[in-house]
Amino acid sequence: MSTSLENLETQLEMFIENVRQIRIIVSDFQPQGQSVLNQKIQSLVTGLQEVDKLKAQVHDILVPTEVFDYIDQGRNPQLYTKDCIDKALAKNEEVRGKIDSYKRFKSHLLSELSKTFPNEIAKYKAIRGGE
Amino acid sequence: MMSDQFRKVEPYSPKSSPRGARSPVVSRQDSSGTLKTTISLGKNPSIVHSGPFYLMKEPPGECELTGATNLMAYYGLEHSYSKFNGKKLKESLSSFLPNLPGILDGPGQEDNSTLGSVIAKRPIGGKELLPLSSAQLAGFRLHPGPLPEQYRYVSATPPKRHKSKHKKHKHKDGAPPGQDTPLQDSSNPDTYEKKHKKQKRHDDDKERKKRKKEKKRKKQKHSPEHGGLTPNQHPVP
Repeated sequence: MSTSLENLETQLEMFIENVRQIRIIVSDFQPQGQSVLNQKIQSLVTGLQEVDKLKAQVHDILVPTEVFDYIDQGRNPQLYTKDCIDKALAKNEEVRGKIDSYKRFKSHLLSELSKTFPNEIAKYKAIRGGE
Repeated sequence: MMSDQFRKVEPYSPKSSPRGARSPVVSRQDSSGTLKTTISLGKNPSIVHSGPFYLMKEPPGECELTGATNLMAYYGLEHSYSKFNGKKLKESLSSFLPNLPGILDGPGQEDNSTLGSVIAKRPIGGKELLPLSSAQLAGFRLHPGPLPEQYRYVSATPPKRHKSKHKKHKHKDGAPPGQDTPLQDSSNPDTYEKKHKKQKRHDDDKERKKRKKEKKRKKQKHSPEHGGLTPNQHPVP
């Protein structure tokens, strides 16, 4: 992972940790915690400012929107990458199978046609240059 | 029209169009290679095949990259393939983000926090982020005490699973729980205490039931209906 993404990830984790600490303070609030709460709220704002600064470093990173469907379902986004690779592999094998089948069909057709029309196929092969 | 009905249609004749009822006289663009024919219009329209074979076309150019190539190797993705297919990937989002607290594995539609909604309805931005003034912070003065019931368990610890039964035993023995993150336990001391109290109550119930069963067994042993000894049958010391 690039440094810019690592920085963004770290900053976001710190922000989330800050929010979690605010939740703890608020869940059972004590008056002496007011100053700490205020500090935490200010650090929320600074955290957002830091994340905003980092957006320039990651503006060229493209994310497919299909990954968001996985995340919204609570699934690991690496499964999207795995599914893409599996689909690409399956399609590659399918097309390779088709190409092989067509090649075999062509050779079989030529061999049968040369039995039936030897002169014509000889002319055809001469024109095609022995493909 | 009448003459059309009596006109012979020879399906394999060069005069008939190979594409159905379309006239061969009208020239059309051939997109699949160079057609070796000469089409002449005018008084006597005709199609003269210049090549030796009917409909013989130039084959398409050779392409270096086809589906017959191993594209994983071509693009250098073999390492990625082995990385994703070698080990079994965990299904849950929390396995991808182990450091984050709270419930991650639930669907986002439940609390309207989907990434899709952020894309569909972009939040209003462009305003400068400024620290809050003291007057604005005054709005965050809170009343002391715990949260009301309705807000207490929002996005708290995840619901108990059957696997946690084993972890309860581990916890009783003093070993730290494996599945619950330390962040969650430390963040909710109230919920931890309540869980512990529930466990105690559950244990107490079990003990009471055991005592009741033992009492019943004793009664059954001593009752005459179940073959127990009668007072007359008690051995004389």
